[in-house]
Amino acid sequence: MNPANNRIFTRILRLGSLLALGIAVVGCLVGGLTVGATGVTSALVGTALALVFTGMTAASILIGLRASGGSLLSGAFFGIVLGGWLLKFIVFLVIVVLLKDQPWVNTLVMFLSIVVGVVGSLVVDVVVITRSRVGIDVALPGAERANSDK
Amino acid sequence: MDATTVLAAINGNIATVGYGLAAIGPAIGVGIVVGKTIESVARQPELQGRLTVLMYIGIAFTEALAFIGIATYFIFTAK
Repeated sequence: MNPANNRIFTRILRLGSLLALGIAVVGCLVGGLTVGATGVTSALVGTALALVFTGMTAASILIGLRASGGSLLSGAFFGIVLGGWLLKFIVFLVIVVLLKDQPWVNTLVMFLSIVVGVVGSLVVDVVVITRSRVGIDVALPGAERANSDK
Repeated sequence: MDATTVLAAINGNIATVGYGLAAIGPAIGVGIVVGKTIESVARQPELQGRLTVLMYIGIAFTEALAFIGIATYFIFTAK
């Protein structure tokens, strides 16, 4: 497995969690001041949904690369990444159906928290990836001979 | 009841169509992202590390639309 990729996805997960924490705090303040106690719980639920479901993609790629021994062209990798994607949407759908009529959830606050959480995680992804460097696995001329000399 | 009324009658929750519409775009998007990544790695295996990261960002943007689409449908149909 490429160590640079490992670092990138771990960093995305770490920074994404920090950002979600910040969004949860701001969401709780705004929700609490505008709607009351239901606003606070809705902001927490919305941010948690955004964090878990966007973070699952990065986590599934990490797990997939480990399972396939670092190879992208393997059934295990795409099975884990795309299977995780499918499972995630089914679980998200079920959670949203269960939550939408709960008396302790304000749907507008939850919706706004999800949108801010998802867009925020995209910003984190782009920032981490543009600042990262991933090497190309090309054998340099003479590398084979240098290895055989050892 | 005349023929026009019968044709225009809809039973059940029309909002379920919203989920169907929200699922089409991301499904096509992820299919293209993954397919093109496989194609690219098959052509140039040395770029696999970079392509994995780029595939991730493609999937992340596609799923963002799906999340917002699904959440919009359910939240705006809540009573």
